[in-house]
Amino acid sequence: MDKVITYAAVNAKIRALEKDFLKRDDYLNMIQKKSVVDVARYLKDNTSYGKLLREINIDNISRRDLEDILKNNMIKNMDKLVYYFRDDYKEFIRSLYIKYEIEDLKILSRSIFNGKELETIEKPLSFLGKYSRISPKSLFKSRTIRDLIYSLEGSEFFEFLIPLVDGRRENLFRFEMALDMGYFSIIQSRKLKISREDRKILKKWEGLLADLYNIQWVYRGKKFYSLSPEELLNYTINFGDKLTFRERKAMCYAKNLEELYKMIANTIYGFLFKKEEMYRDIYMERRINRFIYYKLKALDRQFSLSIIQTIDFVWSFEFEIRDIISILEAIRYDTPSEEARKFLVKIA
Amino acid sequence: MSVEKMKIVGVIGKKNLLSRVLRLVVLDGSLHTINALVRVNSSDFFLPPNEKNIVVLEELPFLKPCSSKKDFTKDEEVVKSLLSLFDIRPQIREEYLDQDYNYDDFMKQLSEIYDRVRLTADEIEEKMNSINKKREYINNLKYLSRFDFDIEQLTCIKHLAFRLIKISRENYDKLKKNYENIPAVVLKLAVESKYVIVVSITPVILEEILEKIFRSLNYTLLPLPVEFRGTAAKVIEELDSAIDKEEKVIESLKKSLEDYKVKYIIELKKGYSRLEIEKKIEELKSDMANGDKLFFMFGFVPVSNVTRLKSELEAQFGGDVIVLVDDVDKGGSNLHPPTKLSNMKLFKPFEILVKMYGTPAYYEKDPTIFFGLTYMLLFGAMFGDVGQGFILLFTGLILELVLKKGSLGGVLSRIGLSSTVFGFIYGSVFGSEKIIPPLIIRPMANINYILITGVVFGIALILGAYIYNIINSGIEKNVERGLFSRNGAAGLIFYLILLYTIFHVVVTHSSISPAFIYIMIGLLLLMVFKQPLANKLIHADKLYQKSPANYYIEEGFGVIETLLSIISNTLSFIRVGAFALNHVGLYIAFATMARMMTTSWGSLAILVLGNIIIIALEGLIVFIQALRLEYYELFTKYFRGDGIEYVPAKMEIISSTGKRISLFHKKSIFCNIGNIYLYNIINLKWGS
Repeated sequence: MDKVITYAAVNAKIRALEKDFLKRDDYLNMIQKKSVVDVARYLKDNTSYGKLLREINIDNISRRDLEDILKNNMIKNMDKLVYYFRDDYKEFIRSLYIKYEIEDLKILSRSIFNGKELETIEKPLSFLGKYSRISPKSLFKSRTIRDLIYSLEGSEFFEFLIPLVDGRRENLFRFEMALDMGYFSIIQSRKLKISREDRKILKKWEGLLADLYNIQWVYRGKKFYSLSPEELLNYTINFGDKLTFRERKAMCYAKNLEELYKMIANTIYGFLFKKEEMYRDIYMERRINRFIYYKLKALDRQFSLSIIQTIDFVWSFEFEIRDIISILEAIRYDTPSEEARKFLVKIA
Repeated sequence: MSVEKMKIVGVIGKKNLLSRVLRLVVLDGSLHTINALVRVNSSDFFLPPNEKNIVVLEELPFLKPCSSKKDFTKDEEVVKSLLSLFDIRPQIREEYLDQDYNYDDFMKQLSEIYDRVRLTADEIEEKMNSINKKREYINNLKYLSRFDFDIEQLTCIKHLAFRLIKISRENYDKLKKNYENIPAVVLKLAVESKYVIVVSITPVILEEILEKIFRSLNYTLLPLPVEFRGTAAKVIEELDSAIDKEEKVIESLKKSLEDYKVKYIIELKKGYSRLEIEKKIEELKSDMANGDKLFFMFGFVPVSNVTRLKSELEAQFGGDVIVLVDDVDKGGSNLHPPTKLSNMKLFKPFEILVKMYGTPAYYEKDPTIFFGLTYMLLFGAMFGDVGQGFILLFTGLILELVLKKGSLGGVLSRIGLSSTVFGFIYGSVFGSEKIIPPLIIRPMANINYILITGVVFGIALILGAYIYNIINSGIEKNVERGLFSRNGAAGLIFYLILLYTIFHVVVTHSSISPAFIYIMIGLLLLMVFKQPLANKLIHADKLYQKSPANYYIEEGFGVIETLLSIISNTLSFIRVGAFALNHVGLYIAFATMARMMTTSWGSLAILVLGNIIIIALEGLIVFIQALRLEYYELFTKYFRGDGIEYVPAKMEIISSTGKRISLFHKKSIFCNIGNIYLYNIINLKWGS
């Protein structure tokens, strides 16, 4: 009964909103387009984004503008969902912003580090301040990574970043790692008053994410960063669903990549390394995302009337925007449409 | 009364006067600004071509919107830090504003003071920092205080590296589980909420590896002082005494700041007031227009304030500004004057409820009095009780005193009063009907009578609404709405005839004359053809505003809706009687429960609880139901509420003599005393 009270309304709303998601044909049609404006026009004339773009002159719209519009639309829809929840559930919905805000913070930090002007950042950074409640204006004022850290004072991110500020040590790598570690630490440490079943689902779901990202991290750390096993282990997320600490540690201490592949082949995550070497690097991210996408769908069916429908909606929304942006990138680099398709999450 | 008449006031003057003129306007607080370009381009704008106006007329065709945006961030910083440094409560006082001054010069002066003060402030801050650093050392040393050795032995050893660090619990967990691979001795010293404090000792050659590992654990180094010797406890003592010394220095520095405060306090207070008004002025500039040398400003001013504003402007600026005062033109202008309601004290609080529906348009008749009167009657009739009404009245008065403007306290006290009056009529005190005799009627004893009275009362109100609508349409010269619509004259006659026939049939049981039926059908036809008829009468160029087919389909259904709504609107007022009964019924339920209690205390408790529930729950329901009757049954007939609210450019300012505020206070208290007085008279008279 409790479940029905909490979720009947929001799930109905989500079903209605999901109707607006792009169809398979939409992606296939957009891939054939030749310019950003063509894609924008397609979205305006043929999809539910027409409502959103109606007032906007798309004749010389840039990739960044379009991305900003799409992301703000996602924010608007996420904010809508908040009204359907009460108490700590509201807090949880807000915490879905953490991931996106951290992504934007990383982009911002990179351009600050490289001394770029803010106007030239290619990404719109629409999510800044959505979770931390820090005004984006004050973040944009930062001239160094240190400024950026101090301008985040008062947010939950601050305590993870402040150890970076003593002397010479604040650098980009550590900033990004600290934020990532902070993200998983925040979602682990919050004590939300939500139902027991939802807690169980969240544990499963977040554990799954942690597993995937841990494997990806260890693989990349070994291959590209040549970090010591101790450091690798220290940078892993300290929980998981299928992987135990012992397995994680063993992965970090694997002598070489071959040994690592063998270890992972025995888990359910073996699919990550199935194909030959070259494809691993380029498509790993996409493989992870597709796994997440289908896993969410499965969980969605398994636990009707639970928090997972909302999570599924938000992630699907993200993937849709990600796919649109992938298509725009493919257009920019003149990638043949067959190649471009291999980067999309929602269609194969 | 009701909607206050407005005039359009224009001020034109040299640009360098703009800030000062605007300051005067804000202090005066009666100008509702409008966009100057819109005003200048409106058809009724006229400037007599004489010698005085010649420069103005020259500039008229070349006006541009005023676009310069001043940046106040620096000024704000100066004022804010000065206020916080000297701990001054920010207030906007009139005495600092009505002097003649130049803002920029003043700010320059203020920032000079700021620079001077800052030197001392910086020194204090430096000392504070040094104290904080020492406190941090002390804090860190405390972790080591249980070890009884010279800390210099740790910080200055040659081949081993020692450090005290803080890491999060989950990272400590990782460290512990992987201890066999860590090239150092690690010792846990303390656990503090989320963090673990550890010391590590490692050979210097391995320090770099260890640093990398710790870095990946996101550690914070806890620094230790190097220039001290002895055990941790002894070093702490030494640091403590050093802090004491520095605190004394700070004390004396603060004293010298105090001198600055005495010297400059007036200037600082001025600073805040002047900055705030300057920001407000900057806001207003968006509505101004600029010529080459002149600025143009226009706005609506209530008639009663025009002379004051004009004379103030002329007194201060003399011939340097031109003040234009124009009447509000009814037809030609595309500017809608704002509505400023002014009603008698008794009805003023109901303006909130009217505005909740919509602000009356400037030309519309203000419905507040009609609304207030009928609302009080409806509420009282549904919730008539001497005791409970008095409680509402009393609560309302308190709210009015405490929260002042904007609260519903005023409404509450007035409906409470009405409830009390009806309480005497029904003879009900806190639900009980045994204490006083009814003046007119007991609802429960005359159920049918009460219900019918409700409907009759409703009919009277609906007729009032018809008349209001006809008057409003008359003012607006809207023939269609006033004569032929279902809320206009045609609707009114139809309603009256319908009522008469029903009355005739029910009371005399005779059949109705066919003439009435024909008239009614004729009236319905008038309503159907209202638009073409009206347009014919006023000789409009088009008979229909949209396609005739659509129009007739809509109006065809309109007939059905008219018939339905006439019946439902009227019967809706049964609830007035029904709630009067319900009020008694609810009390009877509690009275019965009270009688079932075995102790007299118990039954008293039930009665008190019952009364609380009745006041809170039924009071709220009746409040809403009465509002519903007003909004849905009556407002839809005559009130459009598409006006613009009068929002003059002004600020909350504390006046120099405190005159304005005390006056307001006295008035409201007097009125409240008046209410209580009135209540006492009624109470004494009926009670005896």
